Amino acid sequence: MRRFLAALAIIVCVPAAAVEAGAPAPALSMTPLEGGAPVTIAGLKGSVVYVDFWASWCPPCTRSMPVLDELYKRNKPRGFVVVGINKDASLADAHKLLARIPVTFVLVQDGSDAAAKAFDVKGMPSGYLVDRKGVVRYVHRGFNAEHAAALEKEIDSLLKEPS
Amino acid sequence: MKLLALLALAAFVAACAPVAPYQRAYLARDDMALDGNPGFMKAIEKTYSAKEAASGGGGVGGGGCGCN
Repeated sequence: MRRFLAALAIIVCVPAAAVEAGAPAPALSMTPLEGGAPVTIAGLKGSVVYVDFWASWCPPCTRSMPVLDELYKRNKPRGFVVVGINKDASLADAHKLLARIPVTFVLVQDGSDAAAKAFDVKGMPSGYLVDRKGVVRYVHRGFNAEHAAALEKEIDSLLKEPS
Repeated sequence: MKLLALLALAAFVAACAPVAPYQRAYLARDDMALDGNPGFMKAIEKTYSAKEAASGGGGVGGGGCGCN
């Protein structure tokens, strides 16, 4: 009986493991916001990638967008890529925000929550800085001026690492 | 019989799924606030936190919009 109860407890309580620094980035294939060829994290190996989960209903996310775009524009020639994974219930909401705050980095949709589940996102926004070898090196949950300053230094240090 | 009761309990427990932070698009809408007048409540909370030096005391992070 105890064994049965223990098994039941495990089935009910097993949480998904959150992706933390040191873990390999989950292998994902995501559809761009505007449609077209899928974006894969594996396909970006060799670049430093910032995977950012954002939504128009999340105020810190909207504050992070111009900062991320600036970091992307500045570091793009050195091999830095930002992939913004949208978590709006309706893509129209995402487009409304993008009309107000346009960004130049890659935007993808995650209607099935596959990406959010693979990373086990614990808060919005959540950002995962992946090194050139495909390993998550830094995780940012939430976004403020401190995150922005830290992120800038982290991107710079990862870009200096060989692929 | 006990087994059936346990299975029923397990089924009910499994039905209580938490809303993940990234699934709060609908919960974050103003009209989903518990109070019917979110603007007025915001003003009351601001006054309360200023008077009581209790910023953040009126709620918890991630309660609605999942924005920490």
